[in-house]
Amino acid sequence: MILFENITTDSLANVTFSVDEGSVCKIIVNSDDEKDDLLQTLTGLKPPVSGRVSLFGKEIYSIPRSELYILFKRTGMVWRGSGLISNLKVWENITLPAWYHYGRKPAEQEEEIAGLFRELGRDVPYVEALMQKPSGPLPLHEKILVNLVRALMMAPELMIYDSLFEGFTSETAKMLGTMVSRYHAEKEGRIALHVSSDEQSLAHVKATNVLRQTGDTIQHDSN
Amino acid sequence: MDTQKIGGTVVNIVRYATGYYELLCYAMRNLPVLKRLPVRSVLRKQLYFTGIEALSKVSLIGVLVGVVVITQVTNIVGQNALLTGKILIWTVVRELGPLLAAIVIIARSGTAIASELGSMKVNREVDSLQTMGINPVDYLLIPRIFGITTTVFILTFYFQVMAVAGGLAVTSFFADIPFLRQLNGVMTALTLFDVAASLLKSLLFGTAISVISCYQGFSVHSSITEIPQAATRAVMQSLFVVFILDGLITFLLFT
Repeated sequence: MILFENITTDSLANVTFSVDEGSVCKIIVNSDDEKDDLLQTLTGLKPPVSGRVSLFGKEIYSIPRSELYILFKRTGMVWRGSGLISNLKVWENITLPAWYHYGRKPAEQEEEIAGLFRELGRDVPYVEALMQKPSGPLPLHEKILVNLVRALMMAPELMIYDSLFEGFTSETAKMLGTMVSRYHAEKEGRIALHVSSDEQSLAHVKATNVLRQTGDTIQHDSN
Repeated sequence: MDTQKIGGTVVNIVRYATGYYELLCYAMRNLPVLKRLPVRSVLRKQLYFTGIEALSKVSLIGVLVGVVVITQVTNIVGQNALLTGKILIWTVVRELGPLLAAIVIIARSGTAIASELGSMKVNREVDSLQTMGINPVDYLLIPRIFGITTTVFILTFYFQVMAVAGGLAVTSFFADIPFLRQLNGVMTALTLFDVAASLLKSLLFGTAISVISCYQGFSVHSSITEIPQAATRAVMQSLFVVFILDGLITFLLFT
């Protein structure tokens, strides 16, 4: 499903790994710069110096842009901090991808969004107030939650989490973990890819596959 | 050194012209994307910001320009309604209407669009759209190009009506010039060709302003200091292109 073949970027060298259907994978890197490098290469934003990146069997840097956009409909990216469209309100941000791709009007998505926030321990008045806020000045933890709910609304096959649990209280991190596990268990074949430079924050993630940065490359964890 | 400088300028002009042309062609080919409701929502916001919110300024500038032109013309030709009407058509309808409406839009929306898109690039919002499978050009640029072009077209007509009717109304009130006689003079002098020529100008001005502003905003990479530079380039190049187009169209149609 994800295939990195001899990838060399600005900060990484000769990275080769694959993530199969239905797996939960953790990638632990040394710093946020390397994490950004890896995620941008994986999401088609920064071509590697050398090597090939494939998603769902297609080499993302050699297919036309239009095909890449179709591929990304099957991918949910939960960026840490960035990723929200600042001139849209929170509810516009959350409903945008499903409205754009599948024509699901915002009103049709309301209940599902409320359900997801309920799962994260957020009550209705909180969600109603949050939805009307402009997304630009939101605090970091709310940006992450909004990013997560937005990605889940597309029900993607592949979810990529950029340091999802970092900075949350243990209670919220637990709820996030339960929600993410529930989502991936709900349908066979869904992939979870957690990337972080903080190993501790991913300690409770039960991964089928652990990759770790050693020097300037990333390889399967021997532990 | 001078040769190098001139060479660099020429290369830049060719690069920008190619970029504008490619963006315009892409936008024309992909206009059907406006059928998507989220894109139409961006278009509605653009029409509101560029059109509705600019109405009061355009009205005021229109009436003031009308008053100035009519007062000066009346001082020169006296109360000759037909001649006043003709001069009003030559100046306001053929030239000042499209030009001043375009300048108002450049000042208000050209800078705003270039800065907004530039900051979206710096904050990686454009990247985020891509990773959601949304083509940022389709979602962000096409509705803006279509919205601004339409607005300049409509605002130009509105400006002309305000300048002629408002100008005549104000001067007739303060300077004892009969309103209906003057208006009749304008209507006698006005031809369909004048209106069509001015609307053609406005259509081309609107297209140029929107394409240049969007292109410049999108040319920002990752540094926040690029944003004001992009906004300045959007304004200066829009003004430059609008004046060149104005001169060309006037030369081709009225000589």
